[in-house]
Amino acid sequence: MAGAITQSQDGFLLRLEKGLLPDPLTNLTAQEAALTKTDLIELLETQFKSRRLDLESRRLATQGKSYYSIGSSGHEGNAALARVFNVDDIAFLHYRSGAFLIERARKVAGTTPLWDMALSFAASAEDPVSGGRHKVIGSKELFVPPQTSTIASHLPKAVGAAFSIGLSKHQRREQAVLPNDSVAICSFGDASSNHSTAQGAFNAAAWTAYRGLPLPLVFVCEDNGIGISVPTPNSWVEANFRNRPGLDYISGDARDIVDATRAAREAEAIARQTRRPVFLHLRTVRLMGHAGSDLEAQYRTKDEIEREADQDPLLHSARRLIETGAASIDDIAAIYARISDQVASVMDKAATRPKLASAAEVMESITPAAGAHEKQADQASASPTAKPQHMSRTISATLAEQMEADAGILLFGEDVGKKGGVYGATTGLQKQFGAGRVFDTLLDEQTILGLAIGMAHNGYLPIPEIQFLAYVHNAEDQIRGEAATLSFFSNGQFTNPMVIRIAGLAYQKGFGGHFHNDNSVAVFRDIPGIVLACPSSASEAAMMLRECIQLAREEGRVVVFLEPIALYGTKDLHEDGDGLMLCHADQFGKPASFGEVATYRAAAKAQCTIITYGNGTYLSRRAQKVLASQSISADVIDLRWLAPLPIDNLLDQIEDDVPILIADECRQTGSLSEELVTRLRESDVTQSIRRITGDDSFIPLGPAANEVLIADQDIVEAVSKLVQESTDGQ
Amino acid sequence: MANKKRALVVFPGRGSYAAGELGYLERHHAARADLVGALDDARSLAGAQPTRELDSLPKFSPSKHLPGRNASNLIYTCAQADFAAINREAFEIVAICGNSLGWYLALAASQALSLKNGAKLVDTMGHLMEQKGVGGQLLCPIAAENWRIDSAFREQVFAAIARTPNAFLSIDLAGTLVLAGSDAAVTALQKELRAPDGSKLVQLPKHAAFHTPLLEHVAQEARQLMTPALFGSPAAPLIDGRGHIWSPFSCDAQELYRYTLGHQIVEPYDFAKSVEVGMKEFAPDCIILAGPGSTLGAPIAQSLIACNWQDIVDRQAFMDRQKQEPILLSMGREDQRKLVCQD
Repeated sequence: MAGAITQSQDGFLLRLEKGLLPDPLTNLTAQEAALTKTDLIELLETQFKSRRLDLESRRLATQGKSYYSIGSSGHEGNAALARVFNVDDIAFLHYRSGAFLIERARKVAGTTPLWDMALSFAASAEDPVSGGRHKVIGSKELFVPPQTSTIASHLPKAVGAAFSIGLSKHQRREQAVLPNDSVAICSFGDASSNHSTAQGAFNAAAWTAYRGLPLPLVFVCEDNGIGISVPTPNSWVEANFRNRPGLDYISGDARDIVDATRAAREAEAIARQTRRPVFLHLRTVRLMGHAGSDLEAQYRTKDEIEREADQDPLLHSARRLIETGAASIDDIAAIYARISDQVASVMDKAATRPKLASAAEVMESITPAAGAHEKQADQASASPTAKPQHMSRTISATLAEQMEADAGILLFGEDVGKKGGVYGATTGLQKQFGAGRVFDTLLDEQTILGLAIGMAHNGYLPIPEIQFLAYVHNAEDQIRGEAATLSFFSNGQFTNPMVIRIAGLAYQKGFGGHFHNDNSVAVFRDIPGIVLACPSSASEAAMMLRECIQLAREEGRVVVFLEPIALYGTKDLHEDGDGLMLCHADQFGKPASFGEVATYRAAAKAQCTIITYGNGTYLSRRAQKVLASQSISADVIDLRWLAPLPIDNLLDQIEDDVPILIADECRQTGSLSEELVTRLRESDVTQSIRRITGDDSFIPLGPAANEVLIADQDIVEAVSKLVQESTDGQ
Repeated sequence: MANKKRALVVFPGRGSYAAGELGYLERHHAARADLVGALDDARSLAGAQPTRELDSLPKFSPSKHLPGRNASNLIYTCAQADFAAINREAFEIVAICGNSLGWYLALAASQALSLKNGAKLVDTMGHLMEQKGVGGQLLCPIAAENWRIDSAFREQVFAAIARTPNAFLSIDLAGTLVLAGSDAAVTALQKELRAPDGSKLVQLPKHAAFHTPLLEHVAQEARQLMTPALFGSPAAPLIDGRGHIWSPFSCDAQELYRYTLGHQIVEPYDFAKSVEVGMKEFAPDCIILAGPGSTLGAPIAQSLIACNWQDIVDRQAFMDRQKQEPILLSMGREDQRKLVCQD
């Protein structure tokens, strides 16, 4: 019973001073792992710094000066990884990686990891990584994008980054951010390895390697044997990963810095030389509980806690120094004392630095480049197709046009390659641009979106496709928790621009059922910073897609481009053969600028304004003609941009004093109609506002679908009624 | 230790011993005659003029006090004596750095070099520079009157360096860039660039193009004259001209030798970065600038301003801080020296 390791009791120092050093874990010598005495001392210094940051962070937390005290204690062996891998091997690290960052910083003179991390722990606005928005392990110059609550949600993008490195080399690309000979690293815990997101990433990496494609990635599982309070079954991680096809397995004991270095070298050699993914399984211990608020004594006995402390990696490193004659116990205690004072002083001073003090400051990094994309002049542009075409054709033609102009655009998803998409929206693109730029992924939306994020980290402009709107829900965290937050938590230093094409919404004829007709977009509407675009005709699709790609490129935005499936092949608007839903050259007179709605004015002064989008625009325009035949004039405003809502431009387009009908094809609850009513009223719009929406139902198969969706006749009736009420009221 | 102030010690470079410093050793270090004498004995043997002799001349003489060898030796002696005079009961020295020549002084103060070997290094380099030095150095101020760096002008200066053959950045002093190059490059830069106040860039007298590839031959010769065995581990962390930290115990003395007589001579010296790293990674309570002179005070203050250290955002903020609780203690200034010294 030498004492636990806590903020109030330094079990490491107690054991060191008593000479209670743990027994060796391996026969491997430092020399065999090519570590000199200087290397060992440097690594120990790094480990000490990381430990002291944890302890000081907890001390300051008790004074309300430091936050989110989840720490790296017991995992300081990950310093070995930083030593072995190159500084430009992009690393997506979990929250126990303090030692990794400090050791990697050693490779770049002039970096200040202690101060930077201390500012982050203190949530100071001067934190150079997140700007005071989160305790993060990150650094732009050290190729460590900051991760936040990393329950394996960062693994799919690590797969994407690794895949992009191989692709970039194949393409001999000059604009790559990551060197062609680099590898990617991601770390996580044993409990997180069970997460479906993690499993998806392992599978995607292995699947890719199994196909013989390069994927230089090292998955680092830092196995401390417990997930908060739930123990991982003995040997489970090894049993789970030792024999996976396409995935090499290397194990090591990161309690011992020498063995950790040996294992890291083996993993690095495989990943770098063979360009194959590796699962590096490192044994660690977890000291001081899961986080500052976690009372370990609730689920571990005192003996268990002390036994963990006996295996402190700092003690093993001290043992190594003494064994090699590099330092005595007194020397080690002196180093520890010096670093303890150093870190305490750094933390104390960092804790006094200013915090973010206003909502504007906090939100500054959500879309830091907003406005960089200048509104295009109102001049005509060319149709992407020589002849009038329907929406899916104009989308594929626009994609071709954009890919021709920008070699960094990649297009991928399920069935987008040879098949050209379930609805033909990518027809011919793989043939035109090759399988390196247009390719089929495995069937996993988390992987598709993770690939996009990782590729964007390497300077690509990804255009992933989600085959059906309903399928995005199993992967939404890749947008919500990862892609959309990167800029926010990195103070705008990292962005992952992309245009996510999603086929969705209802009204498909002949292909029914909920999962191919999902009409809920609520999932995208409250994510700060993302753009949700929804075209309503072939020409609109072309113009808006161009705009979306520019927004991604010029502002680093994450854009969701929601394509109404029912309109993909729609040619006619009012009657067979009118061809009004096809793209026509004269429809390209004015660009579809971000933040601007499209207005279809009535021939006479409007008696009602219909606000709608997507299929609703199609239905409303049809209704507009029917209403006109009944001498009722209604303007139709197509919102185009569903998030953020183009409220200013919308208000400009609304006629004063005429009632408003919102025709929303999505559900009554959670649809855009709710926000529209609120925003219009908040903007002091006083006229009558009514809405018609889909019902709060899932979409059934066959004609029954129409029972829960709005139809053009519903719009006609609603407008007639509104106009009548309005007339009666005068 | 808790009562001591944590201090970053900074050593000055060439140019810190000027007319006002004449008699420095006599004034401040009469009690350290043994130290000064021991260093001077070794210099005499090497053919250099003893510093006590130079220091006690009745009049400051540019021809005697400014040539590289004499100037370096004088500064070395004064600075090491100053370092010895720091009150260790009041200050905990947590890290040491220096500017250019000051790097050699820092090596000796940290005990990475013995006092005598430090003197030998300084004398050797001073001698070599006199004999083999080529080109020259220019002072290019890039800060406004408030000591904030004019980033646009800084970029213009770098652009001018890039398009001028054999022109280089020599030292980054935050508010001033020391530019260096061949004689032709120095002339060209003087012709092309003007200080923010419109004045001509000043060439430093008797200074060669230090910290540039033009001195590769000097670096090679220095490595022949100084062996790696002279170098050891520092007793306190050292921060070099890249911002790299050399720690006690983990310092690889051979690497330290290679840096000092390699990279350090032929690549730019980023003094501002060394101060920034010193402040951020050691969070000292104060900076002690060893004498002689105090002219490095402004670059130190400008380095603090450049990294926004503790709300020191401009010259006025620095001056205010100095009045309240000085963050910079210059031993070359009588008023601040007494806050540092035990004697």
